Amino acid sequence: MATDHVSISTRVSSAARTTVEVLTSPSSERQREIRRIVSLCLPFTVLLLFSGVFPLTEMVRISFSESRLVTEGFTTEFYMTLVTDPYYRNVAFNTLWFAAATTVASIGVAVPVAHALEKYSLPAKSVILTVLSFPNSLPGIVAAFMIIILFGNTGVFTNAVAFISGQSSTDIAFSTGVLGLFFAYIYSMIPRALLLLRGTYAEVNTDAEEAARSLGATPLQTFRFVTLPQIKPGLIGACILVFRTGLAIFGTVLILKGLLVWTLQIDRELAQGFNIAQASAMATVWFVFVFGFTVLVLRYTTAEVSI
Amino acid sequence: MAERFGQGGLSARFGRPFVTLVLVLTLLFLAFPVVMTFVSSFASDWFGVLPTGFVTLANWQDVIFGTGVGADVAVGSSLAYSTGLALAGVVINLIVGVPIAYAVARYDFVGRDWVNVFAILPLAPGIILGIAFLRTYPDLSTSGIALVIGYSLLKAPYMVMAVQSSFQSMDLQQIEESARSLGASWPRTFLTVIVPNAKTGIIAGSIISWTLAAAEFNFSYIVYSRGTPPLAIFLFNNITNASFLNAAAAVSVFFLLIALVTIALQIIGNRSAVRRV
Repeated sequence: MATDHVSISTRVSSAARTTVEVLTSPSSERQREIRRIVSLCLPFTVLLLFSGVFPLTEMVRISFSESRLVTEGFTTEFYMTLVTDPYYRNVAFNTLWFAAATTVASIGVAVPVAHALEKYSLPAKSVILTVLSFPNSLPGIVAAFMIIILFGNTGVFTNAVAFISGQSSTDIAFSTGVLGLFFAYIYSMIPRALLLLRGTYAEVNTDAEEAARSLGATPLQTFRFVTLPQIKPGLIGACILVFRTGLAIFGTVLILKGLLVWTLQIDRELAQGFNIAQASAMATVWFVFVFGFTVLVLRYTTAEVSI
Repeated sequence: MAERFGQGGLSARFGRPFVTLVLVLTLLFLAFPVVMTFVSSFASDWFGVLPTGFVTLANWQDVIFGTGVGADVAVGSSLAYSTGLALAGVVINLIVGVPIAYAVARYDFVGRDWVNVFAILPLAPGIILGIAFLRTYPDLSTSGIALVIGYSLLKAPYMVMAVQSSFQSMDLQQIEESARSLGASWPRTFLTVIVPNAKTGIIAGSIISWTLAAAEFNFSYIVYSRGTPPLAIFLFNNITNASFLNAAAAVSVFFLLIALVTIALQIIGNRSAVRRV
């Protein structure tokens, strides 16, 4: 046993020594290339460690801390609360179904729009593209304001319906309800989905589609059996990223408050008595869940992921 | 068979109008509130279907010079503060983003795909990173340094992707080998030959990550504690506390900023980047 241990540690240290040697005094072209790759990746790694990995590790430690102001001891109390309290289960359920529903809706809208952009000859196409990509640079709070403009108490849509039907505008306004929040979510998610799907659509083999059409397939059949299988990897990738976006939305829901979702509850933990340990536990659960499913999906599907 | 033809007739007849309708409705849904916001910021009242009382600059005055009520500040100081923070973030993004984009585009190595995924997928969204920063760097949050390093991690993917798209259109191996065979060392080749050639992507990436950092709300909201509010916090204060039309003017300031950025990107000719913003 002991000799094994020694040999392993010597092997490890000799491997470390070889690595250091490769990096400090490379002797072949391949070793020089390795040194270049390492030095090119180094700045990003430093940033990732300093502003990503380290804070996130601290966050995990705080979530297990017994004391409030300093990180000490070990307790799973805050995770037990998340698991056992029906209040948090309800928040988790809200978050998941709402993100899933808005993802399906935005992909459902983005597929025909991407189709039209790629296949039809449209007037003023560059203007259309600018309009469709504009909301990508808007923060969530502005998306929420857009929904207030449309469906709020003094919103355009609200007042138009009130004017026609004669009802009071406050009865019609739904910007602060679940439906209003739904529209606010898809306001930021449709342009994102579109960005991802347009790249996929550009790679579709149009010859096969034309062949299918000339052999008598209807447009719907052509889409179902020729186009859809080709865009499937991009479609799965878009679904994952848009779902991630949906789970991460915070500013929008902070303003509209239509539904109590995970991110809003994280803020409430801080706002109501600065319960940083509970907030950290919730953030940790969020991170592990999203990180885990992204890795799993990338591993086991042919999904193509880019922003 | 007949049923199938009937169905086919349906999609042949209504397929294109339906798809076009979806496109038109989407465009209206996205653009109409933006236009209404901008228009109403010049109105004095909005009680009915449409705003009335044009043209007044009162709302813009309140935003630009501040109303002096409570903790309200003028947009100028927030804009200047966010500009500085976002610029510092861009500088860090350039230092970390350009090299890793080159490594992934030029070299083949073990784990390249995963390095790429880490470089182009945000590790954690603003709110989660904000929670992580609260207790890790409590002293930095008042000085704005926490905001800068947070922004640079959150927006690094956009820089990496913009630069990568420039690198992908270059024959990197040939350029590198030509420079090397003419006697340039590798660091010199990278800094004086490769980087200048990727200028378009680097400028586009800088503009994009700058805009998104200046617009970042979730992270700023959690980490910001006191002092001049960043632009996104300024917008939030206006949306939640100011009068409706004042908020419209504040949001319009932001729209103008995005419009300027879009024009700038179009001038440097990176059309794919324009769509990404």
